[in-house]
Amino acid sequence: MRFPSPQTDRGRQNLRIALLLTPAISLIILLFMGGLLMGFIRSLNYFPLIGLNEPNLEAYRLVFTDREFFASFLLTFHIAFTSTVIASILAVGAALLLRPTFRGKKIISFFFQMNLTFPHLVGAIGILFLFSQSGFLARILTNADVISRPSEFPALIYDRYAIGIILQYIWKEIPFIGVIVLAVLQSVGEDYEAVAQSLGANRWQRFRYVTLPLIMPGVLSASVIVFAFTFGAYEIPFLLGRSYPAALPVLAVRSYTDVDLAAKPQAMAMAMVIAVLATMMILAYMNLTRRYVRSS
Amino acid sequence: MTQVRLADLTKIFDDDFAAVNDLSLDIESGTLTALLGPSGCGKTTTMKMIAGLLRPTAGDIYFNDNSILDIAPEKRGAVMVFQNYLLFPYMNVGDNIGFGLKMRRVDKREIRRRVAEMLELVQLPGIEKRKPSQLSGGQQQRVALARALIVEPNVLLLDEPLSNLDAHLRDEMRELVRSIQRELQITTIFVTHDQEEAVVLADEIALMFDGVLQQYAPPAEFFEAPSTVAIARFFGGLNFIPGTLENGAIHCPCGSFQAPKSGVKAGVSTLSIRPEAIQLGGRGHNDVEGVIRSHVYVGRYARFRIDIGEFQVEAVTEPSQVQHHQDGSTVTLHFPPEKIWVLPPEEEHKDEGNESAG
Ligand SMILES: Nc1ncnc2c1ncn2[C@@H]1O[C@H](COP(=O)(O)OP(=O)(O)OP(=O)(O)O)[C@@H](O)[C@H]1O
Ligand SMILES: [Mg+2]
Repeated sequence: MRFPSPQTDRGRQNLRIALLLTPAISLIILLFMGGLLMGFIRSLNYFPLIGLNEPNLEAYRLVFTDREFFASFLLTFHIAFTSTVIASILAVGAALLLRPTFRGKKIISFFFQMNLTFPHLVGAIGILFLFSQSGFLARILTNADVISRPSEFPALIYDRYAIGIILQYIWKEIPFIGVIVLAVLQSVGEDYEAVAQSLGANRWQRFRYVTLPLIMPGVLSASVIVFAFTFGAYEIPFLLGRSYPAALPVLAVRSYTDVDLAAKPQAMAMAMVIAVLATMMILAYMNLTRRYVRSS
Repeated sequence: MTQVRLADLTKIFDDDFAAVNDLSLDIESGTLTALLGPSGCGKTTTMKMIAGLLRPTAGDIYFNDNSILDIAPEKRGAVMVFQNYLLFPYMNVGDNIGFGLKMRRVDKREIRRRVAEMLELVQLPGIEKRKPSQLSGGQQQRVALARALIVEPNVLLLDEPLSNLDAHLRDEMRELVRSIQRELQITTIFVTHDQEEAVVLADEIALMFDGVLQQYAPPAEFFEAPSTVAIARFFGGLNFIPGTLENGAIHCPCGSFQAPKSGVKAGVSTLSIRPEAIQLGGRGHNDVEGVIRSHVYVGRYARFRIDIGEFQVEAVTEPSQVQHHQDGSTVTLHFPPEKIWVLPPEEEHKDEGNESAG
């Protein structure tokens, strides 16, 4: 009787894993790369089925000369950047508050993490219900005679600064970043801070020179995910944003569903541009992160 | 120059577990004191209370006769070096060592100069730019020490600084710690569970079992005049025979011995004698008959196990003795009176020091 050598055994194991993963991986590649490729071809105005046989960059020219596109880009960047920064800061604060053991910690932690499970849509409806000018707060304030009419309530929905959208993203992303930061805090323990304190660091210095650098990689990688998501997400700006300028994803969907077939290449070009911009920003961000982690 | 006094220091965890119980110590300025004891006896807890990282449940801590309980840890000038070094992983060696000075807002150039000086002191010159992860355990240990020393602490607290090093490095680091401590005259308390390390390094040893101070004395006393059987066992004592002390002689079931040195006045007690003090061959007094049960020849010495009635003792002798005494033969043992130390009777439940002796 012969026994397989451990080496061929290992090789066979790897092969088996590869084979098992193949369907999933090919599906992902097919959907993602295929979609990207189709989109790209389409954005070049190339669609032989309806007689478009000459690829060109007309759609991109239209995208880049469109004033709404730039307004949309700025708005989208503003939404993604502002909500990511604010959510990150608040999440770090929340994680620090939830870190020590205290009475009722379990319950508070549960509520803190609960909205991770709610779809964005639920949050959006909640925000509409609470903050719109015909909403709950506006009415309460009117009844309490703080304002004379509901329409005096500040416009937080469909507003210029996308406050409703940003509020919704912050509400949703704080627990996401917070849970990651909490996990990092848990795993590094409190001893580094104790060392720093023993060496003379006061409370602020301990946070600035010890806690923050320790959690920074976690915060940055969580926030890059949040940024990418908020930059490309459609539903919230569609529900809570104004229609001009609309956020980029809303603009892209709108051109895509336009009855005018000629608008489709432009929609595709826009999607391509969104993807490239998001990728560029994420790469720049990760580069920054790496430099930060290395230098401090 | 800081003198440290612990007064009835107590730390209770979870409402009913006393990790440190009523600990009182008077530590001279500029000395090296070892806090010795088996794992879990409360050594780290004691250090953390001195450093201010844990608040005592009761008792007080004085530096130069001033209570420091209400002084923030970062202002006490008591710097603790942790069991697992804890170098900041995201900083290079130079920034790690300079950390304390940076917190005191010392000028950058001055920090750089002092860091270089410290690296000389711990014999690792020129490694400022390396990351902690690129250092060996011994090097990390020395960097952690340098990081503590640079702030010129009044009190240096070393928590098992040498436990993670291999034997060779440990010897080297012992010398280094000792020489630096002598040179800088810093009041130093260091934790260890290794009695040999405590003996080699310390001016005074505080031995703790289960949160309770057992004996606080210079190292030699733990060998020559331990105050209980458990302490004697922790320091490698093996030979204990119960008896009764009366007029400078201890009467045991196997015979009576002159015993001028004693930790008890009179009454029920225990005779103890170290293995190397027992002589094979009688002198006409303080002798006792025994039967050799087994022996081991070690090269530098020989070790005999000898039955004396129902008791068993161990004797360590010249290696040549092996030729004169066979297993099973009868032998006369001599217990030199000045080498006998009389202890209080052994309490059954107090032998825990035995298993964990290093
Ligand atoms: N925060 C805490 N809560 C509850 N019990 C604790 C806590 N810290 C320590 N203890 C307990 O107190 C006792 C003493 O702990 P300590 O860390 O002081 O021991 P030690 O002498 O330093 O041991 P070692 O040699 O293993 O480091 C242990 O039984 C430990 O389990
Ligand atoms: Mg310890």
